[in-house]
Amino acid sequence: MSGPLAVIGVGQSVQAKRREVTIGALVREAVDEALADAELGFGDIDAVVLSKTPDLFDGVMNPELYLADAMGAVGLPVTRVFTGGSVGGHAAIFGAHLVAAGLARRVLVVAYSKESEGNFTWALSRGLPFSSHLGAGAGGHFAPVIREYIRRSGAPEHIGWKVAVNHRHNAARNPYAHIRRADLTVEEVRQSPMLWDPVRYLESCPSSDGSCAIVVTGAELARRAPRPPAWIHGMAWRTETGHFAGRDEVNPQAGRDCAADAYRQAGIADPAREIDVAELYIPYSWYEPMWLENTGLAAEHDGWRLVDADRTAFGGDLPVNPSGGVLSGNPTGATGLLRFAEAALQVRGLAGEHQVPGARRAVGHAMGGASQFHALWVVGSEVPG
Amino acid sequence: MVSFAQSPCVPADREHDMAEIVLPVIREALDACGLTRDDIDFFASGSHDFYEGRTFSYIESLDAVGAWPPISESHVEMDAAWAFAEAWAWLQLGEGQTAMVYGIGRSSLAADLDQILPAQLDPYLLAPLRPHRDALAGLQARALIDAGLLTERQLAEIVSRYKDVAVDKLMDAPHVAAPLRAHDIAPPGDAAAVIVLAAGDTARRLTAHPAWVRGLDHRMETHYPGVRDLTCSPSTRRAGERAAELAGFATADVQVAELHTEYSYQEPLLVAELGLKNAEVNPSGGPLAGWPATATGLIRIGEAARRIMDGTTGRALAHATNGPALQHNLVCLLAAQPRDPGQPRDPGQPRDAAQPPEAAQPREPEQPREPEQPRDAGQPREPGQPCDAAQPRDAAQPRDTAQPPEAAQARDAAPARDAAPARDAGEAR
Amino acid sequence: MTLPEPVETTSSPLYMNYTYVAGTGRSVFLRGLNERRLLARHCPGCSLVYAPAPEFCSRCLRPVGPPFELPGTGEVSTFCVVNFPFPGQVYEPPYVVAHIMLDGAHNRLMHLVREVAPEEVTIGLRVEPVWVDDDELDTSTTSIRYFRPIGRPTRDVAAVPYAQTPIGPADA
Repeated sequence: MSGPLAVIGVGQSVQAKRREVTIGALVREAVDEALADAELGFGDIDAVVLSKTPDLFDGVMNPELYLADAMGAVGLPVTRVFTGGSVGGHAAIFGAHLVAAGLARRVLVVAYSKESEGNFTWALSRGLPFSSHLGAGAGGHFAPVIREYIRRSGAPEHIGWKVAVNHRHNAARNPYAHIRRADLTVEEVRQSPMLWDPVRYLESCPSSDGSCAIVVTGAELARRAPRPPAWIHGMAWRTETGHFAGRDEVNPQAGRDCAADAYRQAGIADPAREIDVAELYIPYSWYEPMWLENTGLAAEHDGWRLVDADRTAFGGDLPVNPSGGVLSGNPTGATGLLRFAEAALQVRGLAGEHQVPGARRAVGHAMGGASQFHALWVVGSEVPG
Repeated sequence: MVSFAQSPCVPADREHDMAEIVLPVIREALDACGLTRDDIDFFASGSHDFYEGRTFSYIESLDAVGAWPPISESHVEMDAAWAFAEAWAWLQLGEGQTAMVYGIGRSSLAADLDQILPAQLDPYLLAPLRPHRDALAGLQARALIDAGLLTERQLAEIVSRYKDVAVDKLMDAPHVAAPLRAHDIAPPGDAAAVIVLAAGDTARRLTAHPAWVRGLDHRMETHYPGVRDLTCSPSTRRAGERAAELAGFATADVQVAELHTEYSYQEPLLVAELGLKNAEVNPSGGPLAGWPATATGLIRIGEAARRIMDGTTGRALAHATNGPALQHNLVCLLAAQPRDPGQPRDPGQPRDAAQPPEAAQPREPEQPREPEQPRDAGQPREPGQPCDAAQPRDAAQPRDTAQPPEAAQARDAAPARDAAPARDAGEAR
Repeated sequence: MTLPEPVETTSSPLYMNYTYVAGTGRSVFLRGLNERRLLARHCPGCSLVYAPAPEFCSRCLRPVGPPFELPGTGEVSTFCVVNFPFPGQVYEPPYVVAHIMLDGAHNRLMHLVREVAPEEVTIGLRVEPVWVDDDELDTSTTSIRYFRPIGRPTRDVAAVPYAQTPIGPADA
């Protein structure tokens, strides 16, 4: 490796149903903001990595072709990564690898989804001739896993409601978030419609349009950046097969291995104490305690106790998703990169109203498929050493 | 590269699922270099949902890897040649010694590719026109003929070389997308390909004749066919130049070139842009002998390397493409010998990566997007000659026009920073 | 010059027809369903029984053994209740989608559980398949209309670990 790497630019669009802009314009919002943050122009970028969830979601095949102009990618190497919902994390890590390998000096990592231009419940639920036409949707996959977590850990049912409230309160401090509800109460979550029992409406992520972009570079250029860099202390990805008998989807081995590898690189022995803030991929509220345990930020079966004790709320000792997270905005192709980017903003001290005071080390996390794909990075305000 | 295997490209495999197609090819590639799955440090693959007709289709192919215990893995929703590029970059990190790349492509599942391929276009302005699958290729071929760079007869001569059919007979066939005839178009098929990569001494240990990846690069062009000069391929040329800088030898110096030509007309265009002189082109038969969608480009790399691994070739080139009318192009240079470690690092290398501070150069020499002088549009090129590098619509131009004023200012400031000697870097902030 | 009204959205529907290939492994299971039989196969490497079975184990990559028939009964390993309507839905909510561990198998089948009120479904509930009539049988999981309870839970569900299968070394 060539030495330390860092994020020197972060940009994102407002997450919402964005019918007033084209896909290209939506992507450009994040790209422009990331370049402006780094005070760079297109001519300073050596390669582009694009993150996007299935092309059938919005009907644009190989979108890197159509988006070449909007991303400023004409004349550059462009790679379109796809690993399920974790793709934004994989794209960020691959972008960093291009710098580390000496193949680029600055890489622009771009991510987006425009769910409103397609029908992705259709795309996900469409029956194939040889599988059941259950029409359960994404929640139909995750809800049984949540039920199993609750059974194993003995967590009380209000934990899910509480997470939903915390994240929406956090989102009220994030001008980019889709669902911003400073007034949300546990009672309102509890009374919201049950979708996929045990998952209620307000415990579920929305479907959003949105984009995100970051600029990754090496130490020398990072030191010359106009604003503080987020230094990459460790990064890892892991995949496991989805179909084998006996697979544990509640606490998947790939997620544990992924986090352990990143912490090892970062020299972190006790992540729960050494991490100041975490942006985790939490599409349904119960995934907060589950991923806290899976990423080593809580002991097994104890994740829910951190929630119960308000330790993961804004102002707690381990705030989770101060941005509002996936529950407050979910442009699927960008969701993973947003977690990585928000972690970077926190250690740069540039998270605005949702800045966690004094955040020095942060985790960005993404997951995809049937919890098969995991990506995680640890970023810090100090140069790793 | 220490191993390459592929399944025969069949018109339509109706017996096997994705994993069943890939697994035997993985076994063959691993057996050939004496490795097992557990010896592989990183996996990368390429495929595309639009050819498969379902979301997250690539997950099925992971069953052929048996990702347990969990593996380090990535995937591109592109031709697997780009997965090869990712694996090659990964090996340079020094985090592992081996990597496997696999590509699966099934062109046969879509009942009608005319329904599929227009989805690659701008969804607002171009896709609604629903050009059929070969329409943009037909436009590009027509542009080359109109520019006097090609004739229909030459297309037939190219095909004749592959198919052993008389040129006159080929010329009698009807047009499909004039000036293209059915035989000018790569036939859809299903296949998988697997390449095993290894770093340095590990490669030497695994095989007597590794094919060393000396350089690889890829470049994107603007999406809009209406603003491209379809008679040339500046992205191929630029990727070739950059790959050559990394490789330490020119694309013109290869003996074998495997080109991702989904249409006959692309061969002379690519040969000209890459400056190929005496290279044998597509000894494998090329994509005109079978087009397994997203495995096609990876197979080009494998076939080029095969000629080095069997000892018959010293230097080879592989090309892969993605998108309509050659919008995105990749060039990989391979050789029987690794780069001499004593050779100076090429000046095109990013300064950060390798160069000592005193050697730091202003970025101009590597800047791929200099403003170019417009080519005199009225001046015809000689047939077979590459188009002038100075294209009115070269990569530089769309970038500048695309730039918002603020960003342009920021960029103007950048070269000064970059040009500053690196030793000052610490003080710059 | 008066410009036309701004265009806010355009409709560009894609019509795409595909051939799906079941594959040799999945084909065995599907052909069994056409005869009201749940066919399983044993992995010699992991000592696990798959139903549905691939052609080779996705953990250890060994070819799985010949198919044999399972009794068809099983238990709910976990489940959710789909409570809301959405476009393209096949069943009227609420309905139960369950992961069912078939007796004798080690991987789970996803299917509906009916003939029971959703609030009475529990982890560990014993279930059996309800097959369609002869004229509706097909090489598809739709040959099973749904699963239904065959009595109350017979095991102490809290004592059943989730990954209850004997997990051997992946490449033994």
